[in-house]
Amino acid sequence: MKRRTLQYSRFLALLLVFALMVGVVSAQGDRKVLVDAGNAVGASDVPTLDPSLATDTSSIQVLIETNPGLTRINEVTLETEPSMATWTVSDDGLVYTFSIMPEVPWVKYNAETDAVEQVLDENGNVRYVTAEDFAYGIRRSIGGQLGSYYGGIMASWVVNGDAVYAGELPVEELGVEVLDTYTLQITASKPAAFLSTIFGMWQAYAQPAWVIEEYGDFWYEPESFQGYGPFTLKEWIHGESITIIKNPFWPGTENIPVPALDEVKMMVLEASAALANFEAGAADVSIVPLSDIDRIQADPVLSEAYYVGPGSCTYIYGINTAKPPLDDARVRQALSMSINRQALIDNVTKGGQQPAFFFARPSLAAAPHQEDYPEYVLGEDVEVARELLQSYLDERGITLDQMEPITLAHNESEGHARIAQAIQQMWTEALGITVEIQTQEWAVYLETIKSDDAPQVFRYGWCLDYPDAHNFLFDVFDSQVRELGINWNNEDAAEFDSLVEQAMVEPDMQTRTDLYAQAENLLTNKDAAIIPIYYYTSLNLTQPWVQRTHSQFGQEYFEKWDIDLSARP
Amino acid sequence: MGKYIVRRLLWLVLVLFVVSAITFIMMRLVPGGPFNTERGVPPAIIANLERRYNLDAPLIEQYVDYVAGLALPRITDSSFRRSVAEDYLINIPLDFLGEGTALRWMNFGPSLTRRSQTVTAIISDTLPVSMQLGTAALLVGVLIGVPLGIFAALRRNTWGDFVGMGVAILGVSVPAIILGPILQYVFGVGLGWLPVTGWGSFAQVIMPAFALGFAQSALIARLTRASLLQVLNEDYIRTARAKGLHNRTVIIVHALKNALIPVVTVLGPLAAALLTGTFVVEIIFGIPGLGKFFVNSIINRDYTIIMGTVLLYAAVLVFANLIVDIVYAWIDPRIRYT
Repeated sequence: MKRRTLQYSRFLALLLVFALMVGVVSAQGDRKVLVDAGNAVGASDVPTLDPSLATDTSSIQVLIETNPGLTRINEVTLETEPSMATWTVSDDGLVYTFSIMPEVPWVKYNAETDAVEQVLDENGNVRYVTAEDFAYGIRRSIGGQLGSYYGGIMASWVVNGDAVYAGELPVEELGVEVLDTYTLQITASKPAAFLSTIFGMWQAYAQPAWVIEEYGDFWYEPESFQGYGPFTLKEWIHGESITIIKNPFWPGTENIPVPALDEVKMMVLEASAALANFEAGAADVSIVPLSDIDRIQADPVLSEAYYVGPGSCTYIYGINTAKPPLDDARVRQALSMSINRQALIDNVTKGGQQPAFFFARPSLAAAPHQEDYPEYVLGEDVEVARELLQSYLDERGITLDQMEPITLAHNESEGHARIAQAIQQMWTEALGITVEIQTQEWAVYLETIKSDDAPQVFRYGWCLDYPDAHNFLFDVFDSQVRELGINWNNEDAAEFDSLVEQAMVEPDMQTRTDLYAQAENLLTNKDAAIIPIYYYTSLNLTQPWVQRTHSQFGQEYFEKWDIDLSARP
Repeated sequence: MGKYIVRRLLWLVLVLFVVSAITFIMMRLVPGGPFNTERGVPPAIIANLERRYNLDAPLIEQYVDYVAGLALPRITDSSFRRSVAEDYLINIPLDFLGEGTALRWMNFGPSLTRRSQTVTAIISDTLPVSMQLGTAALLVGVLIGVPLGIFAALRRNTWGDFVGMGVAILGVSVPAIILGPILQYVFGVGLGWLPVTGWGSFAQVIMPAFALGFAQSALIARLTRASLLQVLNEDYIRTARAKGLHNRTVIIVHALKNALIPVVTVLGPLAAALLTGTFVVEIIFGIPGLGKFFVNSIINRDYTIIMGTVLLYAAVLVFANLIVDIVYAWIDPRIRYT
């Protein structure tokens, strides 16, 4: 008898193992479930789904689909377009009045019924997204004392924002007013051409006050999360994946259509694991590990799935203009002119990047294109670079050997190291100078490059928060907010400040672009306080059965995607 | 024995206290902080963040608050609600004291970079995963390593020994960072037999457990072989053989038991390292374990996750060594603790 029990339990154990294995390969049937292995790449988890606290691309990717903002960025043109609202601006450019789309219900995924349901209020009526919900979100981000990063960024653009953010004024004093159920008014502290974009960012998304009050800090977990966008949150396995599911109550608009996909599962995977999933057919979309680019381009199947599009960042070398010999503009210009950017891209970075001579990416609103302003572009010319360096040496009466050594610093990373070594070699070959490369661990590096004692040359990169040249030129280099240790404080720097501050409030687009072009001229050409190197691209792999759009700013709009089930194996 | 265990557990408290103090001091001495990012952070935002996480208080106060939150249990009534600031690992309902009353213990604090998670939640989500993976890897290590070591020892200096030790050297020299992707491409992408990444099913355990356990099995095999060879030369083995015992009985009952002492010794720290998460294998196979949080927290200067994971590792290490000591006494009756 005892023996039989043992056999039974052994049989049951085998059965259990078998059941588990079968569970893995369960079919998805005819539902359109997209597996995206290209979102939260390399992270240990999506950090948060609280719109007030989100700062990273993976968190924002989810929120952009579940809680669309008042306005949003077109993923192809990068223009700001109506999302949950249309808007008007007062003549002085300060008062923004948003008319919110009526009767869009709050929804919630019910795990028991496996369905998305409308949220009802205490009287049993459907809860619609109102101006009050948006006002609540903005007030919570700026005045909630949550340590909200983007709440702090937005604070300076709303009347009394900075004082409310610092806790010096009550949140009621904030320049945000609910005029009626579907009309919200935001009063800006100063006019700017890109405010409609700022007011559409995630820290200003509508938030469900009733859920946050009931569930507290963890309200965004799937058990309590509520949204209203084309998708809503279905499942969040921390450290592994987040799944969003189609919201059947989303009415669909011109800009945000009703989704064709039923679900999108975003995997938390490091780049090479994402690629392995893609090759095994377990992922529909993947990002591309830099080390695999050559293999992908050579592979007949993978090269068909490979896509190179514009990215959202610029790669530069900053220069500490206070440290000799880089305290002379001629030396800085010589360094910039003797980098062969295309060779660097072809042989080292390999991702189809674009050579950069200006800092602000050309795709940004009001950003000057380098080909339209040839007189402001420093360009590449080894001969001229040598002459510039020689004239500097002659003036000081020293030889090349007597010139101070130059240090090039970057944070620890194989990719940055390869770029630094290539540029070190280019400088040595073109100018005969010796350059020492220094690396530091990331957090230490950030402190180093933000101090006045920053290395002579240091790697830096900047990615867009909102697609306007202001986000690059003002937010990084205006002396009011500048943190990088470039020590650029001469007359040209003062003129740069006045140009970007003028461009901020200038309503005419062409005039703005001209102003930014003049500012770029000072920063990258005349004074060469930085060396722009390349504009990033975004690389991805897409299976042939996926129809998709390619976003230029970091997040995708999955409601515009589709899967051809008949083509899927 | 009981007294000995109690004494060792008291030592554990002291060890954890010292570890927490050293970790706290060291991580604050390292440059950089949790709120530094590539994009500039205006002073007003830093101030808001530091206020939020009490990082503007004097360091000694921050340390005392942390240790108190972690070490002191508290009793809460029904008004308690889990929050970022208060999230306890151990929650024991005490309903006889009133509805909703509970004894709560071990608040690891909020994560500073995973903005709306607590270290308690991270540990309780990921530690079980890491422990499953670690146990599976340890099993792979022992089940391959011990037989391989015995096999090599019994066939010393024959082809069997050379093959066995060749496999062991291969295991030691091919780290998981190489073995993992090879397994992934052969069995996941090429043959399609096993899921490439993920966690939750038996099929998903096989490759990571093997990638992690193979190197350990090599280590265990070499130790077993060396130790068994030494034991086989002892007088009592000759005596056992002289008694006419079956060879298998001599090896398994008499020799192996003593030969395993050095193996058990390394299993303690090995278990502690495997059970608390292994960064490389978790990253390669997309496993939601503790290892990647541990490593990333140091890169991100997430002070509370660093503290929580270091203390956890120290506790598991001390426990694993305690178990090893207890197993010694069982394997070798001459070893007695008082």
